[in-house]
Amino acid sequence: MPTISINLKDFEQLLGTVALGEATAGRNVLTAESLEPWLSLVKGELKDHDHETGEVRVELQDSNRPDLWSAEGVARQIRIKLTGAAPAYPFFGAKPQARRRLLVAPGLEQIRPYVAACTACGYAVTEVGLAQLIQVQEKLADIFGRKRSTVSIGLYRLPAIVFPVTYDLVKPDDARFTPLGFDDKMSLREILAVHPKGLEYGALIAGHDRVPLLRDDEGQVLSLPPIINSREIGEVRIGDRDLFVEVTGTDLLMVVLTLNILAVNLADRGAAIEPVQMTYPYETALGKSMLTPLDFGQPRAIAVQVIREALGVPLEPKQIREALSVYGCEVRGSKDKLTVKLPPYRNDLMHAVDVVEDVAISRGYGSFEPVMPSQFTVGGLSRVEQMSDRVRDLMVGLGFQEIMANILASRQELIERMGLTGSEWDRIVEVDNAMSQTFSCLRQWLVPSLLRVEAASTRSFYPHRLFEVGEVAVPDQAEEHGSRTRMSLGALIAHASANFSEVHSSLDLLLFYLNCPYSLEPVAHPSFLPGRAGRILLQGHAIGLIGELHPEVLEQWQVTMPAVVFELEVDRLAEGTVEKS
Amino acid sequence: MDTLSQIGSLHPLEIKVLTVLGQHQTQQARPLRQEDIGHAAGLEPSQLSMAVEWLLAKALIRVESEVVTPIVSLSKVGERYFEKYAPIERILSVVRDAKQTGKRITIQDLQAREGLEPSEMSGAVGSLKKEGAIRIVPGGHVEATGAPSPLAESLRTLLKDLHGAPRELHAFSEPLRRVIEHYAVKRGNPNEPFRIDDRVERRYQLTPTGQEAAQTIATQGLGDEVSQLTPELLKDGSWRTKRFRQYTISLRPPRLSAGRRHPYREFLDLVKRKLVSMGFQEMRGSLVETEFWNMDALYMPQFHPARAIHDVYFLKEPTHARAIAEPFLSRVAETHRSGDDTGSAGWGYAYDPERAKRLVLRSQGTAVSAHRLASGPAVPGKYFSIARCFRYDQVDATHATDFFQVEGIVLGPDINFRTLLGLLNLFAVEMAQAKESRFLPAYFPFTEPSVELHVRHPKLGWMELGGAGLFRPEVTLPLGVEVPVIAWGLGLDRMAMVALGIHDIRDLFSTDLDMLRTTRGHF
Repeated sequence: MPTISINLKDFEQLLGTVALGEATAGRNVLTAESLEPWLSLVKGELKDHDHETGEVRVELQDSNRPDLWSAEGVARQIRIKLTGAAPAYPFFGAKPQARRRLLVAPGLEQIRPYVAACTACGYAVTEVGLAQLIQVQEKLADIFGRKRSTVSIGLYRLPAIVFPVTYDLVKPDDARFTPLGFDDKMSLREILAVHPKGLEYGALIAGHDRVPLLRDDEGQVLSLPPIINSREIGEVRIGDRDLFVEVTGTDLLMVVLTLNILAVNLADRGAAIEPVQMTYPYETALGKSMLTPLDFGQPRAIAVQVIREALGVPLEPKQIREALSVYGCEVRGSKDKLTVKLPPYRNDLMHAVDVVEDVAISRGYGSFEPVMPSQFTVGGLSRVEQMSDRVRDLMVGLGFQEIMANILASRQELIERMGLTGSEWDRIVEVDNAMSQTFSCLRQWLVPSLLRVEAASTRSFYPHRLFEVGEVAVPDQAEEHGSRTRMSLGALIAHASANFSEVHSSLDLLLFYLNCPYSLEPVAHPSFLPGRAGRILLQGHAIGLIGELHPEVLEQWQVTMPAVVFELEVDRLAEGTVEKS
Repeated sequence: MDTLSQIGSLHPLEIKVLTVLGQHQTQQARPLRQEDIGHAAGLEPSQLSMAVEWLLAKALIRVESEVVTPIVSLSKVGERYFEKYAPIERILSVVRDAKQTGKRITIQDLQAREGLEPSEMSGAVGSLKKEGAIRIVPGGHVEATGAPSPLAESLRTLLKDLHGAPRELHAFSEPLRRVIEHYAVKRGNPNEPFRIDDRVERRYQLTPTGQEAAQTIATQGLGDEVSQLTPELLKDGSWRTKRFRQYTISLRPPRLSAGRRHPYREFLDLVKRKLVSMGFQEMRGSLVETEFWNMDALYMPQFHPARAIHDVYFLKEPTHARAIAEPFLSRVAETHRSGDDTGSAGWGYAYDPERAKRLVLRSQGTAVSAHRLASGPAVPGKYFSIARCFRYDQVDATHATDFFQVEGIVLGPDINFRTLLGLLNLFAVEMAQAKESRFLPAYFPFTEPSVELHVRHPKLGWMELGGAGLFRPEVTLPLGVEVPVIAWGLGLDRMAMVALGIHDIRDLFSTDLDMLRTTRGHF
């Protein structure tokens, strides 16, 4: 989730009259240390702090609270708690008549259907304010808007625009403008083909003969959403006082919510927000015509009992109301039912439990007294785990050192070096989007894991006796997932005179103590020396392999000691004991 | 130490040497040389020198005299000269042949023909000229004078005498000794035919203590000293007449390799036992999961950025499971779409049942909990799993591509936010021996409220021990669970790494056997 930069001085101004800092020399100075305890209100974690610049970096955990991904948002949540009052944003209740309009062209419902916009006047953009604007724009479009696919944002210099603005659909050769970062006018087709942002985001609007375009009444281009702004109108600079803000996207509520967040952020910095009238030629969830920013949130009725039960504390309705209002929510009602409405910059109230958490955070997690769950339960291990533990104990008793290995390995280790290419054993579960070949397949047996240790430990004194009890994935067409997860035991003995009978003795004793009468049947397996390998049979079922590793295999692994191994399925042993009991 | 106990700790080799020296000394003869002792005691040179070293160290014998004798032998170069003649011989022979056939030969001809080094060449020519055996005539030609070369002859004699048989330097006459010394390997001049080594000959004598020991051994005998008690000695009772050599027990023993659990596994076993002792049942799951159980069932919408938390591995073949069990698929789908009857508004998007079937490597242990919830868990119930999970991460000192997650669920009618905190407090004490803990608000896509547990570990200080929360009703109700459920997870790898004394997470799965054999682990 996003990590944002906050300038402490700027943050102090955003907090307004309330102060978090220590009183030093008659004045409060906000420090990272004094900020940190308050970050639990926003699920924030202080990452680092630059004493020189007064910048702190804060990671915001809650992916459902994009309103907190800015200095303004974090400051707002803390300010509400400290002042006990939610800020008023009167522009959400604006009269139906707006001075400015934005018209949506037909056909956009197929490409990028939604747009929301407003104006923000009277706040002269400062350097730190501009940095925050750019940061919130990036975080919202990148993370909340999933790399601009569901939401992207444009900011413009308002005085250059002649209203009404049209959210249009044009052929890529029919319009030209100078994009940010370039000096000359280019056709939309050229921008998509050449501009870095065109290359990065062009795919979002590809596949249609026309592309979205925002332009004003005089035909001046504002931007090619969601790619790039015009250089003339869409480059906000320090000192600009009047801005036009728009959001386009594929999810109407996310588009409007994003605009709401930008609007309250700018309002918190002193800008006067004026809504703009959207007019759609097609139906939307909020109608064909709407004023944005728009508070689309609905009040929700929540039983007091639900909150009490979830928190385990018999809170009075008054206490709940208080907790929620100092967290920014509107609460009505009194007795056993409360009506809760989130502020317009939030849309994360899906269920009553979301309110429960707001109450808990607002009251502080430290204010709840922990109690132990009182009901009695019996602990225990799964049958497979019990069998694994018995097997491991016996292997240790037989003188084997336990190893642990990654389950992800390479095809080279699992198949090629084992001589299995093209054989009936040439089947493994492979990852499609592997990051490196080294970790691209799930191991189907443990012998390669043991050989990896053996190959890396030629200097460790001999004899080597290694084992692992661990999970493998065995390909199996009959399974729902195309493979089965199995618990396997692999054992390896390596020293100058290691041979079949030595490893056979270990297997024999192990299965004796596990009370599993077994037999061996010769097998022609490419990993083993012919005539020195067998299948381990338990009640007629093959449950594993035993043998002397083929010198070819040892050479492939650059192991210069004779090595003998066995491997068997521990979960089959567990099943076996079920049948007997 | 008195004499008797000193005798008791003597090695059989030492006793043999002492006995030989003791007997010899009574004959009032000249002290024995090392080789004489070896001969008399019937010891190999290596055994003898060990025994002599030990006895010297114990001050039971001393060096009576030391004579240094220079010994001459042929060096590698000398052996070659013996086979193929020394440069001086070869030059003389070529020059004499030329005189007979009337050919004229220059120094360069000689050098080229015999393949001699310039240094060998000039040395040999110089010596021969000095002896008058050859001369250089105008025009740079070399000519034999017909005079003999005593040097060449001496060399031949010496090479013959010394071939394969080193001899004392003093065995040679004065003139030959000078030749040897002149042509001996010296520092800075390794390419000479002879080498002179000093042979040190020591004679040994018993010290007074040694004498006493030897006498004791001679008069009282050792009994019969043995080093190893054997079944035979026990059977026939003859151990009664034997003396057992006493060992030097301060020496380091030979190394052993033990059968042993992996130290990290040992740590996880401890965790497992703790959880069982707290009333938790183990659950197990599959390494390959569907997106449905890995994410959808946990109410992580198919579109949401929260899904980007878990960048997952997809499978090559097959890419999708054939089906997702009903009624879970329909219920979860409807919950994502509209909230269904969970009391939720739902995510409100077009849920894609095909996407739900896509196969992934399990990215979070919570997938195991989701299965457990769907298969009729006990109420009240406590469950845990130690599940191998996979993340699409670049592998480095702090990121592993597959790793263990310790996590689980607690369900029952008395579960609420306070019992959640109570459980976490228990974990703080049981898992981290922490006396202090604190709770911070957190975010997980499938819990609300969500908590992070921070504890003050006795060694590590404040650390995040885990995360937990109450499963959202959107998770539990579609899976058929009507009571509140705690979902918890513990981050124990850092504690494990400290306990194992490692700093790189990759070393948890080390391939270095030496490291595994020597890691102790402090749990």
